[in-house]
Amino acid sequence: MTEGGRDGRSRRRFLAAAGAASATALAGCNGILNDGGGDGTGAPAAATFDDFRGSGANIGGRGEITGTRVADLPDLSGQLNIYLGGGEGGLYTDLLSLFGQVYPDFEPNVRLEPSTQLASKIREEQSAGGSFADVFWAVDAGSLAAVASEGYTRALPDDVVEVVPDQFRPDNAWTGVAGRARAVPYNTDQLSASEVPDTVREFPDTAALRDSMGWAPTYGSFQAFVTAMRLLRGDEATRQWVTDMQDAGAAGYANEFLISNAVADGELAAGFANHYYALRVKAQRPDAPIDLAFTSGDAGALINVSGAEVLEGTERVDLAENFIAHLLTAEAQEFFATRTFAYPMVPGVPPVGGLPRVDELSPPDIDLRQLDDVGGTIDLLRETGAL
Amino acid sequence: MSTREGLSALRRRLRREADGDGLGLTLLSGAIAAAVLSPVAWLFLRVTDVPTAEAVSLLTAPSTTRVLTNSVLLVTTVTVACVLLGVPLAMLTARTDLPFRRFFTVVLALPLVVPSYIGAFAFVSAFGPRGALADLLAPLGVGRLPEIYGLGGTTLVLTLYVYPYVFLTTRAALLSLDAAHVEAARTLGKSRLAAFREVTLPRIVPGVAAGALLVALYALSDFGTPAIMGTDVFTSYIYVAYNGFAADQAALLSLQLLGVTTVILALESRVGQDDASAYASGGSRSAARIELGPWRWVAALCCLAVAAVSLALPVGVLLLWLFRGGPGYAAGGFPFDLSFAVNSVGVSAAAALVSVLLAVPVGYLAARRASWPARLAERATYVGYAMPGVVLGLALVFFGVKFAPTVYQTLPLLVFAYVVRFLPQAVGTTSSSVLQVDAHLMEAARALGESPRSAFRRVTLPLIWPGVLAGAALVFLTTMKELPATLLLRPTGFETLVSYIWQVQEAGYYGLAAIPALTLIAVSAGSMAVILAQERG
Repeated sequence: MTEGGRDGRSRRRFLAAAGAASATALAGCNGILNDGGGDGTGAPAAATFDDFRGSGANIGGRGEITGTRVADLPDLSGQLNIYLGGGEGGLYTDLLSLFGQVYPDFEPNVRLEPSTQLASKIREEQSAGGSFADVFWAVDAGSLAAVASEGYTRALPDDVVEVVPDQFRPDNAWTGVAGRARAVPYNTDQLSASEVPDTVREFPDTAALRDSMGWAPTYGSFQAFVTAMRLLRGDEATRQWVTDMQDAGAAGYANEFLISNAVADGELAAGFANHYYALRVKAQRPDAPIDLAFTSGDAGALINVSGAEVLEGTERVDLAENFIAHLLTAEAQEFFATRTFAYPMVPGVPPVGGLPRVDELSPPDIDLRQLDDVGGTIDLLRETGAL
Repeated sequence: MSTREGLSALRRRLRREADGDGLGLTLLSGAIAAAVLSPVAWLFLRVTDVPTAEAVSLLTAPSTTRVLTNSVLLVTTVTVACVLLGVPLAMLTARTDLPFRRFFTVVLALPLVVPSYIGAFAFVSAFGPRGALADLLAPLGVGRLPEIYGLGGTTLVLTLYVYPYVFLTTRAALLSLDAAHVEAARTLGKSRLAAFREVTLPRIVPGVAAGALLVALYALSDFGTPAIMGTDVFTSYIYVAYNGFAADQAALLSLQLLGVTTVILALESRVGQDDASAYASGGSRSAARIELGPWRWVAALCCLAVAAVSLALPVGVLLLWLFRGGPGYAAGGFPFDLSFAVNSVGVSAAAALVSVLLAVPVGYLAARRASWPARLAERATYVGYAMPGVVLGLALVFFGVKFAPTVYQTLPLLVFAYVVRFLPQAVGTTSSSVLQVDAHLMEAARALGESPRSAFRRVTLPLIWPGVLAGAALVFLTTMKELPATLLLRPTGFETLVSYIWQVQEAGYYGLAAIPALTLIAVSAGSMAVILAQERG
């Protein structure tokens, strides 16, 4: 892991090292004293580490956080046009406000739309010969890949992204900044962790799960999971699995937050959902009998990412790259982990809720770029009647 | 020169001038049609990227045929249901002594402003298999509710949210109707029903047809409701292609959708303009109201029931969200600002104004002249309305960047997108009310020395005013809730009620969506009241 940034900086970095050591201890004071943001000199003053950290039931007992700190990097300054994918991405505007407190001269110009729509839009803009955004920050890998595959991105410098595991930054065309793992939320009154099968393949034949499983076939993340299964096991086996799950009485839900709630209520014994929904349920109801299990090595263990890329034609390359470097700082990673319950992309920052670290999961060996074949998945789900 | 010669010379001159005006108007109409048709060029541009063999196999695949059949079925059932619901409601509010008429006029038009993802969600959460009603009835031993998903449910929900098209256009036609004809029929001993069938009905057919056309094209191009209600239709197919980043395939399928649109437009032409002269009526004396007697309270109850399921239900669900939706994340970041409402009203009013200004020449010309260029221009304006919103939006992204980068992601381009999408709503209501105005009135005014422009302003315009206003109301209401083009083309940092609702819903903050959604409905209700108040003016 690199300490510090890409260019040699002198005084600030030194101060920063001292600041980092005492950040946690002094955080409360600084937060109060400097609330409302900078003093106009451009010095990092207002937001402390704790401002980036969330609070609540899941957050207690954070271990040591290591990694590049905001203060280690050059200042963000000037206007940056960011196309930001909606959904969970909407929460990221808070992170931008925090950066705004650190850097009063930083003016992120943010445009929120669905990730897939922004990807299509960038492709139209670029094919018409224009570039209106400097950075594309999407909530799924497929959208990032759809832009990169047309050659509309600039490769990210190694020293910016080398902290991120290779599979989450293919060819450095883009980099993941926060991950979401497929998981199996289960009701702890009805099941023990050992009763949840280790592979998705075993689910239809598990007696304890019969007529008490939930899934959300219309939901994008579930469809990405099925796409991954098609990539790993082929269409025929996937179709059979979907059919078997239907025979086993899997119940359809509109989204995975509802599934996680139904699990907590005991309406379902278990379900298929992104990991953070169970954490959201826990945040609202700390005593809910819900926990997460992970399958291993198959589609059920897929980790999808939200990530960022620098777009071709930008006139602000340095600022754009520096911005992405900021998304990978300990502060930003702590924000993703504790406020959006995402998986940090940097090994120095653990996920919340006692979850395994990103390098302790066993995700399947899949090129995330191939997750853009949603169409075939929807066809398959339709043919089986799941959709 | 004898009087006779003088008269015929005058007539010749008037005709010549009218033809001259006609040419100017035709050119203007043509230019408007070309402008709103321009996004279609993008479809052709993208389609050329698809290899022919692939195109043929995509268009003839069994699944394509199946969703196309579903779409046609849905269009038919929804259109019939909307006419059956919209026409009686229009009659009740426009021609009878129904209690609280103004209140009902506004309330019955309002379902149009409820975004389909809220309306359909409300239905699913109330009547779905795990919905509020099922919970309520479960202790009483009712184990299973009738299936809400599928074609039946989709028809029901779509009908409840789009019947106002028929309601408003029919109402406008009824208000422009000359009462003297009905009275004459009654004097001649016709029963009330016979008078309605033989006199009123033929005269409001163009209005009903205009509304039915809007309903049919809406049902064809809507994505949200069928998606939520679980019916596979053509638009969901297009969205799959679009979300799989196959803009070329989406374009190809959109062209096929436009093919269906053309068929619908041709069908409506036959109904809407069988015999234009048959609808020409002589004046604008408003009719005596039909007295319903004790039935007026029954009628009021019926109106109330429609309002309850189409409006009170989603509002109720929104309130539920407001009080139940707790914080899911530690992060916040979505402060609501009243300026979103101001922005929504501003762009919607601009879209309504521009649409009406463009619709009057197109609609007037199409109704007055049977010439094919006039008809073609009018029909052409409907094409943008049947394009799925994202496809239209992407087309404008491409053309905006290519040819007008300075207006890209600025308000003028956004308003233009709204006009392309919603202009036909104003064209339809305008031309159906022009059809009801006797052309001889214009000639008389001209013979009395008025210039063509002033004759139009002083004679025709007041007579078609209800239709123009209904068009403005339709454009306004639908722009208020428009999502895809708004997201794609709004200036960066310009948030409306709908873009805000989208943001918080996507992030899972259903509770935060309640306030802006209720504001949307309230602001629309207020604006509708203002627009409809002009009807008497």
